Amino acid sequence: MKILLMGHPNVGKSVFFNRLTGANVIESNYSGTTVDYTRGYMSLDGKEVEVVDVPGTFSLDPKDRAEEVAVAMLKEAKDAYVICVIDSSKLERGLYLALQIMEEGYSVIIALNMDDVAEDKNIKIDNQKLEQVLGVPVVSTIAIENIGISKVISRLKDAKPVDVEDITVMRAGMNHCGRCGRT
Amino acid sequence: MKLNPDERWDLIDSIARHVVTYGEYRHTLKDAIGELTVKPMTGLPIAIAVMYCFWSVFGSFAGTLCTDGFFVKLFDGYWLPWLQEVFPGKGGWIYSILIDAGGMTNGEFILSDNCFEAFGVLTSGLFVAIGVVLPAIVIFYLMLTLLEDIGYMPRLAVLIDTVLHKIGLHGYAIVPTILSLGCNVPAVTATRILETRKQRFIMMTLLAIFIPCGAQLGIMEEVIPDLIGYVLLYLVIGYFIFGFILNRIVPGKSPEILIDVPQYQKPMMTNVRRKLWMRVSSFFKVAVPFVLLGCVVVNVLYLVGFIQWLGDLLAPVFVGWFGVPKETAGPLIAAFLRKDLAVAQLSVIEMTQYQMLSAVVLVSIYFPCVATFAMMLKEGWKELIGSVAVLTVVVFLYGGIIHLIGKLLGVA
Amino acid sequence: MAEKNNFVMIGIAILGLVTVAFGLADILVSVVGDGTGLSIIEIPGDMFRGGWGGLIVLFAGLFYLSGCKNVAEVHNASKVVIGSVLIWIMAGTDIFAMITESIPGGEEGPWFNSLSGFFGTYAPPYAPAIFLLPFSLVVVYYILKQERAR
Repeated sequence: MKILLMGHPNVGKSVFFNRLTGANVIESNYSGTTVDYTRGYMSLDGKEVEVVDVPGTFSLDPKDRAEEVAVAMLKEAKDAYVICVIDSSKLERGLYLALQIMEEGYSVIIALNMDDVAEDKNIKIDNQKLEQVLGVPVVSTIAIENIGISKVISRLKDAKPVDVEDITVMRAGMNHCGRCGRT
Repeated sequence: MKLNPDERWDLIDSIARHVVTYGEYRHTLKDAIGELTVKPMTGLPIAIAVMYCFWSVFGSFAGTLCTDGFFVKLFDGYWLPWLQEVFPGKGGWIYSILIDAGGMTNGEFILSDNCFEAFGVLTSGLFVAIGVVLPAIVIFYLMLTLLEDIGYMPRLAVLIDTVLHKIGLHGYAIVPTILSLGCNVPAVTATRILETRKQRFIMMTLLAIFIPCGAQLGIMEEVIPDLIGYVLLYLVIGYFIFGFILNRIVPGKSPEILIDVPQYQKPMMTNVRRKLWMRVSSFFKVAVPFVLLGCVVVNVLYLVGFIQWLGDLLAPVFVGWFGVPKETAGPLIAAFLRKDLAVAQLSVIEMTQYQMLSAVVLVSIYFPCVATFAMMLKEGWKELIGSVAVLTVVVFLYGGIIHLIGKLLGVA
Repeated sequence: MAEKNNFVMIGIAILGLVTVAFGLADILVSVVGDGTGLSIIEIPGDMFRGGWGGLIVLFAGLFYLSGCKNVAEVHNASKVVIGSVLIWIMAGTDIFAMITESIPGGEEGPWFNSLSGFFGTYAPPYAPAIFLLPFSLVVVYYILKQERAR
């Protein structure tokens, strides 16, 4: 089993990574390029699991070499779990990447990181509702203070591939839910 | 199922409408401070202060505490005399290479009394690597990592964006520039955050020529503390002048990018520790072999008389055009292997302050060390040849100009 | 409340003026040359601490002055905080320099400094920023309290 950490640059991804893996980290070079990435191991139910800190990317349509590597790494690990780290105060931007990854058929878990920043800016996100709509686990975290990290891990087993069609149907339901009563 | 971008944004819009509530936005003190550090009027003074802090701590820790405080005493007082005593074959060539080349006075072999002059692999080589460069690199990377993790670097990038446009780069070019003050090798790799070949070429050339590495800075701090400010001044001016010129003559585009500025945050210690360890250890894997190898090569070249020969050959250029003594030819050869070594060697040649200043500036802008050379070759041989061409022109022009300025000021 | 604000404003304004004066003194002295001492205050005369550093002290004073008018407002408060941060940088680096000087035993001496030598390093005179340090701390403490109350 392999876990990929993905997200925009500057969302606290590497801090998140450190929280997961501790000290045994290897800095590697993605072959054929000069982009460096880090990977490490954490134990999950007594098993060693590889965790990869994928270079930050805004979308799966690469704009520079680091993003190209990010996309290639995702494509290579077809059965990987993806923890998508999103800046809570910029939810929409983050969801774009998360949706793209989900569309590719990965088991995604969403970490709404930097919850404290969102709170400062007075932005509130209804996690449960988001989870219901997307059909993937959603956890609020403040990686820098080690808040919510273990919850992300414990919810890992709930992550499963989701068909985006279900989400669009769900959205149609939400828009008219008053009338038809669908959830 | 896959969505097209429009569908995706529509979906996100409706999701966000359902799950996010925006309260009244209040400007926090943190936001206001963040803004002040980016606006030019207030940001520049802050950047000036941050740089001051950087160099002051660098000098205090690496220079005063580590090198002067302990390592000089350890190496000159104990290590050197002990090795000079116990190592067999005084005056022989192995002794000269490994321990102490010494000096011949009236046909008598005189031992050196400090590690700057001995120039053996096990004496000067180790002293430079461990006594001078190690503390400099550790404190440099520690502070750089802290600035990154606090979130100051992107702000500095925004702040300096406009200025760097003038030399065909953009704000993020500050990252390889500052990294380069640590070591040119990772800096060459970091030029990849620039978009076009033109930008990468300009950046690589500028940093190979005008930015002294941490090892050099450490040595300068040690042997010419009074002149370091002027050396840096000459280099900074050169960086911008030649960047400006290169931007005009190198074909290609310099596109703008958007810089994402994150919130300020307190750095996480484990993160800092890990980054610091990776940077320092990878630096040492590259640097130490080259320092030691540099000692061997320079000593051998001295022993076979090559350096005297080259010095005589280049004497007219050195004395006439650059205004420095011809003995500086040796250090310039050493500079190809390790520039820090070269500065150490310069410090024992007799010359005036201004000559010393010219020589150190020349060594700094003269060829990048072999490791950087190799990195640049990896990037592309065309770029490398271009850089070398620029470099040759720059060394001659700038060396002459510095000499001229000195003449005009009446100090050369 | 308004009266209290006035009081604070005058305090910060005075601090700003003093800081500006120190900054100018630093710069002037280093342009002229030698460093001078006024009993326990030492104005550094070199280009690094006096010139570059003096410029920073001057900036700090200007930040105080530009932010002192209405500290209850967050943008002004942030200027005052930055002014204080600049003072901390100056004082902090000076203190750090003293620490690094105090530990080793000197060129001819033993490995570590003697106890008296150790403490001797910390004796006055000090650079102006160190005298401004306590005041800058008080100001920031006040602003943080104000921010938290909001």
